[in-house]
Amino acid sequence: MNETLLTPQELVDRFVGTFGDAITDPRIVTRAEGAKKNPNTNIWMTIDRGILKPVINLLKELYYPHLSVISGWDTGEELRLQYIFSIYYGKPHGEIMVTFTVPLKKTDLTVPTISDQIPGAVFTEREKQEMYGITVEGIPDGRRLFLPEDFPEGVYPLRKDETGIPDSMIKHLWETKRPTDRPAPPVTEKEDTEEKPKEVKSDE
Amino acid sequence: MSDEMKKKPYVVPIGPIHPALKEPVQFLFEMEGEVVKKADFAPGQTHRGIEWMGMRRNPVQIVHLTDRICGICGVTHSLSFARAVEQIVDIEVPARADYIRVIIAELERIQSHLLWAGVAAHELGFDTLFYLAWRVREDSLDVIENITGNRINYGLVQIGGVRRDITPEQHPVIHKCLDGYRSLLGKMINLFLHDTTISIRCKDTGVLSFEKALHLCTVGPTARASGVVKDVRVDYPYAAYGDLDISPILPSAFGGEINGDVYDRIIVRLLEIEQSIGIIETCLKEMPEGGILWEPKLPKLLAACKKAHGEAVGRHEAPRGECLHYVAMDGNEAPAMWKIKASSYSNLHSWIPILEGEQLADVPIIVASIDPCLSCTDRVAVVRGNSSDLLTKEDLHRLSVEKTRRIQGC
Amino acid sequence: MTLSSSFKRSLFVFHFNAGSCNGCDIEIVAAITPRYDPERFGVRLVGSPKHADVLLVTGPVTGKMAPRLRRVYDQMADPKVVMCIGTCGQSGGVFYDSYNLEGPIDQIIPVDVYVPGCAPRPEAIIHGVVTAITKLERLEGGEV
Repeated sequence: MNETLLTPQELVDRFVGTFGDAITDPRIVTRAEGAKKNPNTNIWMTIDRGILKPVINLLKELYYPHLSVISGWDTGEELRLQYIFSIYYGKPHGEIMVTFTVPLKKTDLTVPTISDQIPGAVFTEREKQEMYGITVEGIPDGRRLFLPEDFPEGVYPLRKDETGIPDSMIKHLWETKRPTDRPAPPVTEKEDTEEKPKEVKSDE
Repeated sequence: MSDEMKKKPYVVPIGPIHPALKEPVQFLFEMEGEVVKKADFAPGQTHRGIEWMGMRRNPVQIVHLTDRICGICGVTHSLSFARAVEQIVDIEVPARADYIRVIIAELERIQSHLLWAGVAAHELGFDTLFYLAWRVREDSLDVIENITGNRINYGLVQIGGVRRDITPEQHPVIHKCLDGYRSLLGKMINLFLHDTTISIRCKDTGVLSFEKALHLCTVGPTARASGVVKDVRVDYPYAAYGDLDISPILPSAFGGEINGDVYDRIIVRLLEIEQSIGIIETCLKEMPEGGILWEPKLPKLLAACKKAHGEAVGRHEAPRGECLHYVAMDGNEAPAMWKIKASSYSNLHSWIPILEGEQLADVPIIVASIDPCLSCTDRVAVVRGNSSDLLTKEDLHRLSVEKTRRIQGC
Repeated sequence: MTLSSSFKRSLFVFHFNAGSCNGCDIEIVAAITPRYDPERFGVRLVGSPKHADVLLVTGPVTGKMAPRLRRVYDQMADPKVVMCIGTCGQSGGVFYDSYNLEGPIDQIIPVDVYVPGCAPRPEAIIHGVVTAITKLERLEGGEV
């Protein structure tokens, strides 16, 4: 871990200088809130899949990065994975969020695992596999995470194309009526007792 | 039984149902005698597909959906989501709203930590303390109800501000509650941290080393108890936290060194209650005058959201650690993508290293110690060879209580 | 209501979280703590469905929990009463159109008492338990 702190611009320059054209569209976004308007810093970079692991190695040289989560975005023609990191935590008002966007073609949805570099990534990589249908190469634990065991294969909830959730799987809970196979409620009894609480309905 | 049979490890599945709290989670323990050799867990028992549902609704509807992601973190998710959308649409939140957001977030931290303290005491068989913590927790719920109108699922945060103001008449109510907590805190710290039984049960139990905490990307009090200095409120100025002079709470604040055990997690959470009291008092004093909403008319707000393009990340330090919402919008009414990272999401995998090598009787308190809102396990099936016994949640709890009694006996 | 005679015995309650947001679950636990203290009437949470008279179900019932809910219901001894706590167990609430929900609860198991609210206050939950007691009395008396 290197204890010299780089400014956001130096950070971007360091990455672009090291990886050149493989990094596109680097952006530094700041946002100031509260009465004193102290700004916070977010860096966004789009990177090629091939340099995902070297990029994280460089990030680790600067500061051990905290991986918040890997997010995804199905834009239609491509699937974009966002690796959301933060570095320089523990420095008051000094934390910088670094997000690497990795665009993937729908025909080749594979990424290398980063769990050998950051062990905490397994959890979120497992989720990406089941939610987006990507393949994480070399993942130490490839089981499903949140979806039930009998969830249909080839359906990925967060995809927006034909592999997304089909309409037939959606259950409209509000449409359900009173079950018909139960005995009718004692209507006469209800009319007799006026004090019956209205908000709690008794059902037999 | 032959010697070989005796040595054979057996598998203990736990859950997924347990009466007290949060998500039902299923555990699988490979046991050797009383010692957990290997631990594994299966989350997702309460997977409702909220992200997917959100991508069919407009941002104002989603705010009310975010309230219902978790009933304890009522303001956490709505604040993170609102901050993400505000960055995309480029909404400037009035400063007064930022202060109200911080006040309600800190009240939530107080009630959440007290809730956890009660659960932890219950797991150790110290039910008197459980009832004490939950009784005083009601005071903070009363204040939250006074401000927001509801005890749970507050619906206070709106995109561009908050929906209700804090009036001068409400200040004495809040101060009365905070003063009550301040006078009570010494008693709570004495009961928790100077109690011999709690010390024996919690010290050196469920140790999460600094390296493991760092590498597994843990957040919040779990990470801080292991010495990882990380608190979004301090590191990354947002809402009114950037105006405040606060620093992350580490177990060393109570003297002694950082061990990363259950005891250290208790220290961090109890001292954070004190910190939250201070933050609320400062915010009440320094709250600027002004409006509380960027745009009170919902159709105008929605029209602005509909025009926006871009992606952003909203973060908030929840009672359990960093909560993160990633939102992408592409000019439609509903967001193009919405990803939620709750704080327990980052902490759950630290269960595996901290449970391995511990005794079955210590499992409830260790599981509860990272505050997954999952206190007890409901049903435990102990499989020995071909026969299987059912251990109820009560049995497991009884094991824990018996261990406490044994310690008290000696 | 003939509450006085039924309070002679204690009512055991088992709580089942079928995928709720935890709000109702917290309020159920809050309802047994000293401010409300239903334990003075013998109402208490138990850890096993086999000991319980009343089953409190919260949540819209997720795919993974539906078979477990049926199993817990089957394990309870007769006479038993099922209470559905919270709006999402009755109509889905804000989760009205998900892909992973099997609910509402009364599609899975028969429900006797509904307590609406998101989340219902502890007072409402206790009121629901009182209603359940009267229902249990009727079942005991062989009226149904």
